[in-house]
Amino acid sequence: MKTLTKKMIFKTGLISVFFLFAFSGLQAQSDSPQLNDAEIASVAVTANQIDVDYAALAKKKSNNKDVIRFAQTMQDDHNSVIKMATDLARKLGVTPQDNDVTQSLLSQSRTQTDLLNSKSGKDFDKTYIDNEVAYHEAVINSVETVLIPQSENQELKDLLTRIMPTLKSHLEHAKKLQRELK
Amino acid sequence: MKIISGINSGLVLWLLLISCNAAPGPETVTVTIDQMKYSPQTVTVHKGDTILFVNEDIVAHDVTEANGAWASPRLENGDSWKYVAEADEDYYCSIHLVMKGKIKVE
Repeated sequence: MKTLTKKMIFKTGLISVFFLFAFSGLQAQSDSPQLNDAEIASVAVTANQIDVDYAALAKKKSNNKDVIRFAQTMQDDHNSVIKMATDLARKLGVTPQDNDVTQSLLSQSRTQTDLLNSKSGKDFDKTYIDNEVAYHEAVINSVETVLIPQSENQELKDLLTRIMPTLKSHLEHAKKLQRELK
Repeated sequence: MKIISGINSGLVLWLLLISCNAAPGPETVTVTIDQMKYSPQTVTVHKGDTILFVNEDIVAHDVTEANGAWASPRLENGDSWKYVAEADEDYYCSIHLVMKGKIKVE
């Protein structure tokens, strides 16, 4: 049992490092030229879309009703955030601008999707939920420490601030499922 | 002129007495849903009062009794739903399981 727990902590740690690496472009840029608002909008929309895509995969592959229900919530909530972000960008006349961070996120998500596709049954559920815990931890950290401080437009800053409670509740929900799937 | 003034004063006094003697009717108390919280988290009401749940959050929520005895429909941003409180009850959001609230009936 102890070995299992250690294995799980190790795996979760690996996934956390994986996503922190994906967001490392953000961290590195905090001391140098900042991300502009158009790039921040692109990162925000992409990060949400990636979780919507993971959720769609989970709904297709999982047989666990709690996991499926969680995935449905992720799909609905992150789609709401994407709509708010794109509506705001349209209102401000800003076109989300592709950048290295967006590309890094997409590249990492392709690797993670391949991993999820290779799993089935309880292994899939555990991998999906471990990933959700790590992904939300990394996103929360990046939104709090990089995206909000670097946003110049007050409405964009307010939107990013407003989504924080939602992200934190997703993390709590994912951690609860992670404990139950042990 | 004095007579009219006296009549008016008597009428006001009579209306005041009526309103003091009348039993208070059921009231409507609002619980706002925002930032992933029910506010107030514990709502204290009298038996028969109506609780109006208003979703002001950016995502959809619901209000579900802890044991599933009753539940609101899915409430999108801007939606509201009424519930008449009869007893102490716990509730939560079945979409976001970490959101919880209490109804306390005095």
